[in-house]
Amino acid sequence: MPLDHRRLRGPEESQPPALWAAAAAEDEEDEKGAGAAARDPCALRPLFARAGLLSQAQGSAYVELGSGTKVLCAAWGPREAAEPGPGRLICEFRRAPFAGRGARGRPGAAAEREAEREAAAALREALEPAVRLGRYPRARLAVSALLLQDGGSALAAAVSAAALALADAGVEMYDLAVGCALCRPPAPAASWMLQPAEPEERRAAARLTLALLPALNQVSAVLGGGRGGPPEDWAQALRLGLDGCHRQYPVLRQSLLRAAQRRRSTPPS
Amino acid sequence: MASVVLSEAEKLYIVHGVQEDLRVDGRGCEDYRCAEVETDVVSNTSGSARVKLGETDILVGIKAEMGTPKLEKPDEGYLEFFVDCSSNSPELEGRGGEELGTDIANTLYRVFSCENSVDLKSLCINPKEHCWVLYVDVLLLECGGNIFDAISIAVKAALFNTRIPKVRVLEDEEGTKEIELSDDPYDCIRLNVDEVPCIVTLSKIGYRHVVDATLQEEACSLASLLISVTSKGAITSMKKVGKGSLDPESIFEMMETGQRVGKSLHIALQKILDEEENLGTSRPKVGFLG
Repeated sequence: MPLDHRRLRGPEESQPPALWAAAAAEDEEDEKGAGAAARDPCALRPLFARAGLLSQAQGSAYVELGSGTKVLCAAWGPREAAEPGPGRLICEFRRAPFAGRGARGRPGAAAEREAEREAAAALREALEPAVRLGRYPRARLAVSALLLQDGGSALAAAVSAAALALADAGVEMYDLAVGCALCRPPAPAASWMLQPAEPEERRAAARLTLALLPALNQVSAVLGGGRGGPPEDWAQALRLGLDGCHRQYPVLRQSLLRAAQRRRSTPPS
Repeated sequence: MASVVLSEAEKLYIVHGVQEDLRVDGRGCEDYRCAEVETDVVSNTSGSARVKLGETDILVGIKAEMGTPKLEKPDEGYLEFFVDCSSNSPELEGRGGEELGTDIANTLYRVFSCENSVDLKSLCINPKEHCWVLYVDVLLLECGGNIFDAISIAVKAALFNTRIPKVRVLEDEEGTKEIELSDDPYDCIRLNVDEVPCIVTLSKIGYRHVVDATLQEEACSLASLLISVTSKGAITSMKKVGKGSLDPESIFEMMETGQRVGKSLHIALQKILDEEENLGTSRPKVGFLG
């Protein structure tokens, strides 16, 4: 939208008000946070998954978490590629301009693009071990994830949704990749918590995102960082996260089965 | 990334060797290659270091510039990372190199995201207005495998070498602030690098994992785990890289190995840096002539 700067006489430099109002807002959140702290750290959030909902993509999936994270994924099966060698998986991760909290970010901003590219690379690393790329020589498979609302654990939800979309597109896979996020609250003796919500994730001292191929019991992605801890501490987080992945698996499988049944009952005209 | 093409027989030879704890160059699974570290190699920087780890050759230059603190952290300075690998091989020129460069830079940001890795508060000059920004420029001169470890060693050495001029903030009666630079060029602040983590890359080859893989060994490995370890043995970040996946049990083993190897790496590096420091002006500079 064109903006007339001569008519809008604001100061030359502006700062988001959220930063200065943060003190009050934080208290309110902390009260909510107290409720969240009472949450069982091993508890998973309600998960909704649906495969095969977009008509224009070969495969698609929608995943929603109880914390408000909504991800829509579309996948396209093999297309011819110019370069020789085994198939390549091309991943894309986009955030809707209104996905985050606070002011709307400019979609084309460099920092935004950078973050999206990093998430896309993480998505590809998580999915590559699950897809039988050797079966698609000289071909390209594409997955695109769109984050509609970020309520925490966005990358983990995107991994689950992208794996569902690929499976829904009929791509040969070893297994579904299931993502799960964890965080450790800033309190010194706090334990790891499964599937953090957005405020928890923002304040966390350490974060970890995992992806697991449950049937093969293979970890396809580990990505995390934050305040240091001994290996036992991270190992405990890893165990908790893997358990979380295993518990999400039946829901995702069920949604895939349901999509296949729907497709059979309504044959393409 | 630069890669080599190996035949099946060559790969099998390497994998079998690793299983017997004897690698192609005679090392065991937890041994690093011989590393050369030299600091203060580029005089136009605030701090610099060059690390040669086997074939891998890294040059890091750090420039301290004055900037404004970030809004969300008004009393802290910050670090900016930039990785350039275009001089490495023709395939890394342009897009490919840019991607690898941002990938490495993102990893460095994650490794340094831990709040106490560098004392950022000491980089603040006056809150909300001025702070030091450390621009860390990493140059990949030659890639011979295990670039992440070599880069993290070089960054730590360069941070150790960094000298930031001391400045004072003077305030007159009207409240206008003035920044005064010390007259003595040797009057500088040094950074405390005790908590700066180093990256240890563990590559899974066959049933075992090795540290400091060469290019040939990287070609045999489907998945590796990057772990950043502080000198006290705390793990600050983890990342899986590569096309393959890992068994949960092997990840636990890799974390243990990473911590052990990382601790001894820190001790060795600190010893070398202190020795070099103690030589003072009598130190023979090798630079790029050696």
